[in-house]
Amino acid sequence: MGMRGEIYRATSLALKDLTTERRTKANFNAVVFLAGLMLLLFGFALGPDADALRNAAAGVLWLTVLFSGVQAFHRSYEVELETGALETLLSYPGSRKAIFVGKLLANLAFILLVEVIVVPVSAVLYNLPMGRLFPGLLPVLFLGTLGFVTLGTFYGAMASRLRARDVLLPLLLFPMLIPVLVASVEATSALMVGDVMGEMASWIGLLVAFDVIFLFAALLTFETVVEE
Amino acid sequence: MPSEWNYIMAAYGITWVVLIGYGIHVVRRLRAARRDNEEMRRTLEVES
Amino acid sequence: MNSTETPVDAAIAELRLGAPSRWLWGTTIVGILAFIGTQIYGFTTPSSEEMGNLVKIMFVHVPTAEISFLGVLLMFIASVLYLVRRQERHDLLGAAGAEVGAVLTALTLVQGSIWGRPTWGVWWTWDARLTSEAVMLVILVGYLALRAFTEDSGRRARWSAAVAILGALNAVIVYWSVQWWRTLHQPHSSPMTVARPYRYALRLNDVSMLLIFIALVAWRYRAAKLERAAELLREEAALKQGGSYAL
Repeated sequence: MGMRGEIYRATSLALKDLTTERRTKANFNAVVFLAGLMLLLFGFALGPDADALRNAAAGVLWLTVLFSGVQAFHRSYEVELETGALETLLSYPGSRKAIFVGKLLANLAFILLVEVIVVPVSAVLYNLPMGRLFPGLLPVLFLGTLGFVTLGTFYGAMASRLRARDVLLPLLLFPMLIPVLVASVEATSALMVGDVMGEMASWIGLLVAFDVIFLFAALLTFETVVEE
Repeated sequence: MPSEWNYIMAAYGITWVVLIGYGIHVVRRLRAARRDNEEMRRTLEVES
Repeated sequence: MNSTETPVDAAIAELRLGAPSRWLWGTTIVGILAFIGTQIYGFTTPSSEEMGNLVKIMFVHVPTAEISFLGVLLMFIASVLYLVRRQERHDLLGAAGAEVGAVLTALTLVQGSIWGRPTWGVWWTWDARLTSEAVMLVILVGYLALRAFTEDSGRRARWSAAVAILGALNAVIVYWSVQWWRTLHQPHSSPMTVARPYRYALRLNDVSMLLIFIALVAWRYRAAKLERAAELLREEAALKQGGSYAL
């Protein structure tokens, strides 16, 4: 199967994932609601002083995205597992990489959509300087989310097939996300103060390197994860 | 305030305890595994 | 049927379970003696002017920290070997390395904490080395937990190999990220530079700790191979029992 065929496979898989309506919508609502709730709880834990909240906001935002987004990866393989569709998928010719990319694209779209709601809400709750944050925040959000989703999709493929998935997925995934967390939070904080120290370039660089390395590594090893 | 020596003893002590303890753990696992192997071999000989 | 080699026999042969070699015994005995010797040597080193007697903690902490990296490295190399060659014993070697590595990493963290308290007054500093050790520990524990919860041996080997490779890569990235992160927020680092007179004792302790590491891994590896052989034999026994009923 040529490259074109692979890309077609990946995108049609992604679209299929995103459009299995009822399940996806229910998940989406649950994740967004959970995120909103977390923002609120962090507010209670760290506030009510506006300055304290603003200082913590970058960290809170990204932690919220990570903790609520993990739910998406728990569910991402649920449909395949329940219907045995995964075996069917694997029995078709064509590389496993397309399956991974398809899942990744679907999860990426999902989490980005969640962020479309969560970022403005956090801006309101934490009084964030939206003028300074945009448009600089967009590449940070995208790159950070890409790293998150790449690893989440990868580890989700394994964890979802184990009984201990609720413990194992966070245990395996979160340590891997530490560089993303640090880089994204630092970049976001830098943006909020107008990047006086010019750190943005370094953190974006780290995010790009991280994304490239792990996209590569995940694609290379996904075969072994999914073969039977 | 505890003297320096408490900390030094603690550091050395815990190092030795952990290393020796883990060493003993490995030895126990080895013995158990060897026993299991012999048992299994005997069981198989009996059966065939 | 009994004269030909069964698949189980072949699998066990692949494990390469000989009697423990002279080298292994030699390393173990020399390692233990060397460790005791170098520890006493380090312990009785005269105290330094800046750090007082606390410098003695360095002779346990630094070797443990440095050798703990070998655990992750071994896990990584064995995992790559496994994915390329698909030999069970490589998978078992990786697991042995990870387990010993986890023990040493946890120990490093405790030692670091014990060192930090009298030196800087805090039980924990977010410095690059200690923080990376903590992350490394979580990565190792995750690897071991995955293995514990995966029942099928083939899947366990493949999955933990993939997880090991990504985890090891991440350990390196985390180290750099945290260093960067720290220099941003705290321009003065607190390096544990070693004064020249102590370097010799430190190197000696490094070597003896390395021997201990090799011995622990080798014996743990052997135990893993024996356990796997027993597991294979158990499966064969179960098959034979099932077979007699299948007639």
